[in-house]
Amino acid sequence: MKRFLSTAVWIALAILAAGALGAIALQRGERLNALWFVVAAVCCYLLAFRFYSAFIAAKLLSLDDTRATPAERRDDGRDFVPTNKWVLFGHHFAAIAGPGPLVGPTLAAQFGYLPGTIWLIVGAAFAGCVQDFVILFFSIRRDGKSLGQMAREEVSERGGFIAQLAILAIMTILLAVIGLVVVNALKSSPWATFTLATTIPIAMLLGLYLRFVRPGRVLEASLMGVALVMFAVVAGQWVADSPAWASAFTLSGIALAVVIMIYGFAASALPVWLLLAPRDYLCAFIKAGAIFSLAAGILLVRPQVLMPPVTRFVDGTGPVFAGKIFPFCFITIACGAISGFHSLIASGTTPKMILRESHSRLIGYGAMLLESFVGIMAMVAACAMTPGVYFAINSPPSIVGNTAEAAATTISNWGFILQPETMTNLAHSVGEITLWNRAGGAPSLAVGMAQIFSNTIGGPRLLSIWYHFAIMFEALFILTVLDAGTRVGRFMIQELGGRVWKAFGRTSWMPSVLISSALIVGLWGYFLYQGVIDPLGGVNLLWPLFGIGNQLLASVALVLATTILLKMGKLRWIWVTLVPMICLVSATMTASYQKIFSPIPRLGFLAGANAMAVQLASGNIPSEKIGETHRLIFNSRVDAGVTALFALMVAVLIVEAVIQWTAILSGRRKATLQETPYVATQWADTFSGAAHGDD
Amino acid sequence: MAHIHKLLSRPLRRLWRGLREWCGDAAYEQYLRSKSAKTPNLPTLKAAEFYLEQLNRKYSRPNRCC
Repeated sequence: MKRFLSTAVWIALAILAAGALGAIALQRGERLNALWFVVAAVCCYLLAFRFYSAFIAAKLLSLDDTRATPAERRDDGRDFVPTNKWVLFGHHFAAIAGPGPLVGPTLAAQFGYLPGTIWLIVGAAFAGCVQDFVILFFSIRRDGKSLGQMAREEVSERGGFIAQLAILAIMTILLAVIGLVVVNALKSSPWATFTLATTIPIAMLLGLYLRFVRPGRVLEASLMGVALVMFAVVAGQWVADSPAWASAFTLSGIALAVVIMIYGFAASALPVWLLLAPRDYLCAFIKAGAIFSLAAGILLVRPQVLMPPVTRFVDGTGPVFAGKIFPFCFITIACGAISGFHSLIASGTTPKMILRESHSRLIGYGAMLLESFVGIMAMVAACAMTPGVYFAINSPPSIVGNTAEAAATTISNWGFILQPETMTNLAHSVGEITLWNRAGGAPSLAVGMAQIFSNTIGGPRLLSIWYHFAIMFEALFILTVLDAGTRVGRFMIQELGGRVWKAFGRTSWMPSVLISSALIVGLWGYFLYQGVIDPLGGVNLLWPLFGIGNQLLASVALVLATTILLKMGKLRWIWVTLVPMICLVSATMTASYQKIFSPIPRLGFLAGANAMAVQLASGNIPSEKIGETHRLIFNSRVDAGVTALFALMVAVLIVEAVIQWTAILSGRRKATLQETPYVATQWADTFSGAAHGDD
Repeated sequence: MAHIHKLLSRPLRRLWRGLREWCGDAAYEQYLRSKSAKTPNLPTLKAAEFYLEQLNRKYSRPNRCC
C-alpha cells in the first residue's frame, strides 16, 4: 500500500512537471503567471533528486556508509569537523551561492524567458548537480583533496599544474566582472554608494568585537551587524536627499573602480579578522534572508511574466551582449546551471566535514538544485518587469542612442513599447537619478526584486527602500566574493612564486604579502578598468569571458570525473559525466572561437580591434579619443589572447586525459586509483552528528 | 501549555544548535569536543587563539563561489 502511494505521488509529480513545463513552453498570447516557473522547477528538481541522483549514488559511485569519512578519521575540530547533514547543506549552499546565478539569468533574459529557464533546469539536473556530487564524493574518498591535487594524481602531473593555472586565470576574470557589476550598480547613485561604503566600518566594528570583546561569538555580532546595515539602507535616503552629502557619494565609474581596487588590496593585505571575516558573517545572514524573502515574495505576489518566451535577439544581435543563443545562452547562464567554481568548494571544505558518504547526495546534488532555483527566481524577477524597461536598463547608449528619446524610440522599434517618462518616473520612484544604461544585471534585478517586495510589504511608498535593499544585498554579496577571491588569489600567486623564490612563498612575510596582493589586484583591476571604459558597457566584453572561463573549469572537473570513473571500472555508466563534458566543451570551445575570430566587431575581439584600427587609419576618430582608441584596440587583442589561453589550457588537459583513457582501455596502463584505504566507521548507524551537539 | 512546550522544545533546540553550527558560533565548542583537543600532548587553544587560527585557515583557500 505504502509503495503504491509513493508511486502514485511520483507519477502525479511527473504529470505536474510536464504540465507546468508545457504551460511555460507553449503559452502564446496570454500572460503567464510566475507560479508556473516555480511549479515546473520544483517538480523537476524533486524528480531529478529522487531518481537521477539515486541512480548516480547507487550505480556510479556505490556510496558506502560503512566506510569512515575524513571527518571521522581525522576529526581535528579545525578542518575536519563532523557536521550534521542539514547544517553542512547550509554551509555548502552558502559557499556555492554567489552573484552568478542572480546576474547570469538576468542577462540571458534578453533571449526571452524560455531558453534560460530550460537550461537552468536541465543543465542543473544533468550537468551542474552531477559535477558537484561526483567531485564531492571523489574528494571524500581522497581525504578532502583539492581539484588541482586530484587532477595531478589521477590525470597527470602536467594536468594538475594546468588546472591550478586555469583556476588563477579564471579567478582573475571573475573578480573583474563582478567588480564591474558593482560599479554599474553604484555609478551615480549616492544612496547605494553610501550604504555599501557604510558596510565597511560596520564590518570592522564587528571584527574588533569578535576579536577583543567576545571572541568567536559570531551569531550575536552578525545580528548586530545586520541591524546596522538595515539602518544604513534607510540612512542612505537621507544622504541622497542632502545635496552636499549626495555629491560626496556620487562617483563616476572609473572612481568606483579605483575605490574597489583599493578595497580589494586592503582586504587581502589586512589581518583577516578585521575586515574580511566579519563581512562574510554579515553577508551570510543577509544572503539567506534575501533569498528566502525573494522566494516568499514570488509565491505571495505571483507576478505576471511580461517578457516573451523567445525574443528576436536569439539571432545574436542582442543589445545586452552579442552572440547567438547557441552557445551564448549557456555561457551567460553559467553558475545557475553548472559552475566550475563549485568543484573548488566540493573539493575544499565540505568533504572534510561530511559525516557519511550517503550525505554527499543531498549536499552535492541537492545544494546545486537550490542554486539553480535561485537562478529561476532571478529569471522570474527580470522577466516580470516590462521588457522595454529591462532593455532600457541593460542596453549601452552606443546601441540604443545617447538621449532618453532616442533610446526609447530604438527600444520601441524592437517591439518593446517604452516611453522616456516611464524610465524617469521609475528612477524617481526607486530613488535613483537615472536607470538608463545600468548594464550588469544588478540594477534590473533590483528593480524586479523591489517590485515583488513592495507588492508584498509597503506598496509603492517603500519601492525605493526595497530597491536599495536589493542593491545592497547584491553588492555585499559580490564584495564578499571579491575580497575572499583576492585573498585566495594572493595565496595562489605566493605559492607559484614560492617555487621560484622560497621566501616569496611564506604567506606571512610582509613584502611578499604586499607584492602578491598588488599583483592580483593589478591583474583583475586591469580587466575591470577595461570594462568600465568599454563603449559597449563592459558586460558585453567581460561576462562572456567569465562564462567561458567558468564553464571551462567545469569541463576540467568533468574530465577529471570521467577519468576517475573509468579507473573505477564504470565504463557502462561513463556517459553520466562524459555527455555533459562533451556538451560543455562544445559550447565553450564554440564560444571561445567566436569571441576570438567572429567577423562581427561586437562579437569577435580581433574583428572589434580591426574595426577600430580601420577607423583610426581613416581619420574618423576625434583627436582627443585617439589615445583611448589605441588602448581599446590593445585591450581587445589581450582579451583574444586570454580567451585563446583558456581554451588552450583545457585542450591540453583533455588531450592528456584522452591519452590516459586510451591507455587504460587498451590495457597498456593499469588503472590505479589514488583513494585512501578503507577504514570501517566506528559510529553507530543512527549517528547524525547529535553526539557532537547537546542532546 | 506544558504539552506544547514539550512538543516544541526539542525541534527548537535543534534549530538553534543548527543555526549556531551553520554560522560558526559553535566552532570553538566543536573544537573542544574534537579528538585533537583531547590529545594529551597537544596544548588546547583558548577561545581567542582558536578564533584567529580558524579564520586564517578558512580564508586561505577558495571558500566563496561566484
